[in-house]
Amino acid sequence: MMGYSELRINRIARPEAARPMRHAVAAFLAASGRVDDSRNDDILTAVGEALANVVEHAYEGTDHNEIELFARLEKNDTLAVDVFDRGTFIERSPRPNRGFGMKIVKAIAHDVSVNVEDGTHVRMIFTLLSAK
Amino acid sequence: MSSKSIAVIRLSGELEIGRRSEIAQTLVVNGSEAGVLLDFSEVSYADSTSLAELLRFRDEAAKLNVPVVIVIGSKQFARLIQYAGLSHAFRIFDNRAEALTDLSGAAHE
Repeated sequence: MMGYSELRINRIARPEAARPMRHAVAAFLAASGRVDDSRNDDILTAVGEALANVVEHAYEGTDHNEIELFARLEKNDTLAVDVFDRGTFIERSPRPNRGFGMKIVKAIAHDVSVNVEDGTHVRMIFTLLSAK
Repeated sequence: MSSKSIAVIRLSGELEIGRRSEIAQTLVVNGSEAGVLLDFSEVSYADSTSLAELLRFRDEAAKLNVPVVIVIGSKQFARLIQYAGLSHAFRIFDNRAEALTDLSGAAHE
């Protein structure tokens, strides 16, 4: 028996893509029965931020390309979520009233890593509060 | 005596990047208001693109001396603001009556 389950979604990185991808993660978490409501909201908030970041920044000035999400429930009550794009990572200077996305992700996730070789890969590790 | 009245702006559902234009076009202040109540009691989810629009609206209202209060019903939205470090950036209430009372007081200051 597998000790984990997986979800993989690909979309074109347009603004309207973030919502259904986040909803798919919500359904995936609900089906697992392993996350309570409060933790569920937080995880979806962080996933939503990672997706919005790609939609808003990854393909600025270029044709929109793919966004890929891979979520995996691990045996040890953790959830790993990877968000990939093939855009160019741009280090931005702080702008007023902007730039909260990664701050929010880091506040929620147990661990966050960003790899910017050949696109951008954000990996978020969440601890789960078991509902059962 | 001022003839200005309190304006109520309502948004509901999910305030996320796919609705950014709609949110920006809805959050408008022109200085004719005694105050603005942003009624988000029916918002079920919000992301940081919404926070950016809220901050832009707050700043525009401040320039026009229009007080703003926000009613938030969703725990997710409230925590989003907390995680972004913006808990003190807005006057937030969890029900409309308290928000209106606060706004009425602020509008008469």
